[in-house]
Amino acid sequence: MTTLTLERRFDAPPEKVFAYISQTKHLLKWWGPEGMDVPEHNLAFDRTGPWYSVMTNDEGQRYKVSGHVTHVDAPHSVGFTWAWHDETDARGVESHVTIRLVPAQGGGTEFQLNHVDLPGDDVAANHEQGWSSSLRKLEALANS
Amino acid sequence: MTKLTHTFAALGDPVRFAIAERLLTEGSQSAGQLQDVAQISAPAISRHLKVLREAGIITRRIDKQRRIYAVNPEAVRQINRWTMAHKDFWTASLDRLDAALKE
Repeated sequence: MTTLTLERRFDAPPEKVFAYISQTKHLLKWWGPEGMDVPEHNLAFDRTGPWYSVMTNDEGQRYKVSGHVTHVDAPHSVGFTWAWHDETDARGVESHVTIRLVPAQGGGTEFQLNHVDLPGDDVAANHEQGWSSSLRKLEALANS
Repeated sequence: MTKLTHTFAALGDPVRFAIAERLLTEGSQSAGQLQDVAQISAPAISRHLKVLREAGIITRRIDKQRRIYAVNPEAVRQINRWTMAHKDFWTASLDRLDAALKE
């Protein structure tokens, strides 16, 4: 199980940061690396339920990711599942994202993001997910 | 069926995955060096190497009488293209979030 943790400090108060990480109109201002477009989406973390986004770059590469919003606790935290789709739209290994906001001294916001890969052992019993688990390891090696 | 689907199918076998993992982490190896990757016979290892080669995941070159295997960089690139590293995605996105909050 691998966990990615990123922490930031923003000058804006938690209520404003929460709006930016949960509402569609704000999410679209920052979702994805610079240069990516988000031509198709159902991107909102202010309610539970399904979400997805399709990102494209100027070389025509297409990245689709989807999941389910699992909890919303304004203005403190949101949680959602996450999985990339391949070019046949088959959904890959699921991981889970949690974003937490804590009021900081002086009116700002401490932002923490955890992106956790689900444990491989739990899914190894299923053949299809077994190779997904292998694939995740290979992805990690290829990305390192 | 896409090429990537073949890649995943070939890597579904634990021995083949172990071979690909070994070649990715340690670089190219001869068939002899790969024998200890699993407790199976040399002919069985050879069959797995053949499947990996036919799926385009590994390449083989002959050096005198040795057969040297390596991961095909194109296969790794294909897997990379399918996903964006989570760290890359979030780091780049949060930089933009920071900028958007300041507008």
